[in-house]
Amino acid sequence: MARRIWLLLSIVGVLAVLVAACRPTPAPTTPPPQPTQPPAQPPAAEKVTIRVMVVDYIPDKTDKWLEEEVVPAFQKDHPNINVEFVYVNWGTLDETIAGYFAANEGADILNLGSEYVAEYGDRLAPLGAYFKDWPDWQQFLPGTLDTVMWEGEPRGLPWLTAPRAYMCRTDILAEVGWTKVPQTFDEMVKLAGDATIIKDGALQRQGFTPLEDWQEYLSLIWTLGGTTYKADGTPNFDSPEARAALEFMYNRRRAVLPNEGIAGLPETTGALLASDLVACQWGNLWGAPVTSDPIWQKIELFPGFTDPDFPNSKPVVQVFNDWLAIPAYSKHIPEAVEFLKFLGSAQNLNTYNSHFGSFPSRKDAWFGYVEQDAVMKKMGELMGQYGVGFADIRETAQFRDILMAEMPLYFTDAQSLDTTLQNIQSKYIQVLKDAGRLP
Amino acid sequence: MNPKLYTLLWAIGTVIFILLSSLAVAAVAKAIVRRRGENRLYQSRTFAGYFFASPWIVGYFIFVIGPTLASLYWSFTRFKLPDPPQWIGLQNYIQLLTADDQFRVSILNSLYVTFFGLPLQLAMALGLALLLYRRLPGEQVFRMVYYLPVMLAANAAMLITWRLVLNPNNGILNTVIRMIEDAVPPLVFARQVVVMITEVTNAAFIGLQRGDFTLLQQTLARGLPVPEAMPLWHQSQLWSKPAIIFIGVWSSGAMMMIYLAALCSVPTHLYEAALVDGASSWQRFWRITFPMISPATFYNLVVGIIATLQIFEQSYVLTDNGGPAQSTYFVAYYLWRSTFRFNKIGYGAAMSWILLVLILVLTLIQFRLANRWVYYEYES
Repeated sequence: MARRIWLLLSIVGVLAVLVAACRPTPAPTTPPPQPTQPPAQPPAAEKVTIRVMVVDYIPDKTDKWLEEEVVPAFQKDHPNINVEFVYVNWGTLDETIAGYFAANEGADILNLGSEYVAEYGDRLAPLGAYFKDWPDWQQFLPGTLDTVMWEGEPRGLPWLTAPRAYMCRTDILAEVGWTKVPQTFDEMVKLAGDATIIKDGALQRQGFTPLEDWQEYLSLIWTLGGTTYKADGTPNFDSPEARAALEFMYNRRRAVLPNEGIAGLPETTGALLASDLVACQWGNLWGAPVTSDPIWQKIELFPGFTDPDFPNSKPVVQVFNDWLAIPAYSKHIPEAVEFLKFLGSAQNLNTYNSHFGSFPSRKDAWFGYVEQDAVMKKMGELMGQYGVGFADIRETAQFRDILMAEMPLYFTDAQSLDTTLQNIQSKYIQVLKDAGRLP
Repeated sequence: MNPKLYTLLWAIGTVIFILLSSLAVAAVAKAIVRRRGENRLYQSRTFAGYFFASPWIVGYFIFVIGPTLASLYWSFTRFKLPDPPQWIGLQNYIQLLTADDQFRVSILNSLYVTFFGLPLQLAMALGLALLLYRRLPGEQVFRMVYYLPVMLAANAAMLITWRLVLNPNNGILNTVIRMIEDAVPPLVFARQVVVMITEVTNAAFIGLQRGDFTLLQQTLARGLPVPEAMPLWHQSQLWSKPAIIFIGVWSSGAMMMIYLAALCSVPTHLYEAALVDGASSWQRFWRITFPMISPATFYNLVVGIIATLQIFEQSYVLTDNGGPAQSTYFVAYYLWRSTFRFNKIGYGAAMSWILLVLILVLTLIQFRLANRWVYYEYES
């Protein structure tokens, strides 16, 4: 008898565990309806733990700083808020965040990329009420705040700003008879060709790099005065600007590589611009020589070039902002906001960004390395004058795949310009429709 | 809750679950044999057997059968994280098979590497096995050397090393080719011909794949490449798949070991009899060795097809996300990308079931054809 009871208990126990494990998840995924201005709640009095998911750029440096300096300093004023970090990289960020939203639980603060607000907008907590009376809010650069706004409400705080501009080696330019950096699209094409050296079927020096970057393509469209989307939300790759930008990239590539049978540059380590292998490049300062390198005396940093055929043409410095958002599912929004405000202080933003030569997203944090370093100072000025945020790129992952599949086909003569633009337009429309972003 | 305590509670809960579920499975098994009228000893042995086997059985149901069934269900749903799944019937399958260009491209890329790469891998593996079978001095070292790439082949660091080796400009491979050509100048023409054949073949394949033959026309119009034109490997869409095949051939050590074992099992009296009859070494290989090791060839072929259709790391690391121009966008890579980059779980699940069916069909065809060329000694 006892054995039977014991057996019965075992079966019931297993079933109980199974039932508990298989319980329906609380209808997670549709974001809760949000009032436009939810009242700001004060932080809870009892001890709570918030989890912060951050991208691990420099594991031994930023992690240590966050855990050993930031958190203890924060806890002096907030002893009841414990902070834990979840470190991810860009390769695992998307699925981690998707998992959080699907489960309706996860980290209380999420590190998002520049273009993510369109992806998760409604699922992020509106924070207008929390930041309304925060005097520091005014210090954030307007361009960076655009990145975190969704339906008129801030969904987080910017904390890293990395602009992308053009850089040319003036000594190489002088060597090929150029006294100044290119001012127009045509000049850029000519310079790319002039500065390129090909020997024995292989590039010895590349006049310009990169030759097929999809993010630069968007930047060039904006440079010509174009937009990524039309007013009704459909993509704008049937526009004259989209065509001219792509054609320019093709011509520049052909100036560097007269045909596709030429071997590219040798594999190298370090910044290409410091290696004499490249005359000009587009990118941020992470891909450039370190700003203390004397080679910078021979590098000119400039915002870009224009096309006289397009009257609205204006150089564009594409600005990428990492930002920290608070998901709507968080049960500790007031505490997470407190930590965000602390992390977003001028001193903290300055220290964090000094780790990798990016810019703090608030103006009063531009001291120390930002002011003392001539390269940073120049980049900061360009960003202030020509900066356009890399934001609101809808369905980025699939969009990127479309561009990375179609652009090289055109660049390698496998597909015409017309077909390429038509494919980008139609495929992107389909993606947006599938995602419910277009009717 | 304190996360450490939370983790500890989960660990304790898991152990309890394993114990209880094992007891339950064992009890059910025992109840069944009791119903069949087996004696008490048999019942207690059944109980003990199932109790100890249960952690694996339960794990198999939870971690294999469960996800498999979930994947099958999701394949009929529109399930894009973080939204919940919505039943859409066969739409994912219809979309994949009729309207998804990238899927078509990825399937054809995978089939290309399978049909062109696998025979080369088999030939290399057999060649190496035949060499090692000769009992050379240092044979064990050679075995290790040839097997080592199997462990290293898909390793990210190794693939990055391959990027250096295959760099068209100053990579080791092209440098060696140039050195050999300097020593034997007529080889330059041979290389030009090989480059042209490879590029025309691949341009034709891309034309068929995409329904646009512009690249083929351009390649043909270029004619015989200039003497400086070297293989462009991972830089060019005309060379990226051959580059991956090249790495596959380099890592054919596992197949080599199977062949080596098979060679060792060929009865020596067959060779002795053939020698007495005056058979040449080629005749001995073709008439004795090859048929006798055909089960190993068959095994390598089946396993090779399955493995090649699941190539992933090469397109992720070596050719940087399936490039250039999606020429190394393989089906396993697209599956991963759809599921974890685009968060389209339902779509990815449908893709994985199509891949499963494709592998199944190819394997069944192999088994059907095996009767015609695979020789099992016990059958005689």
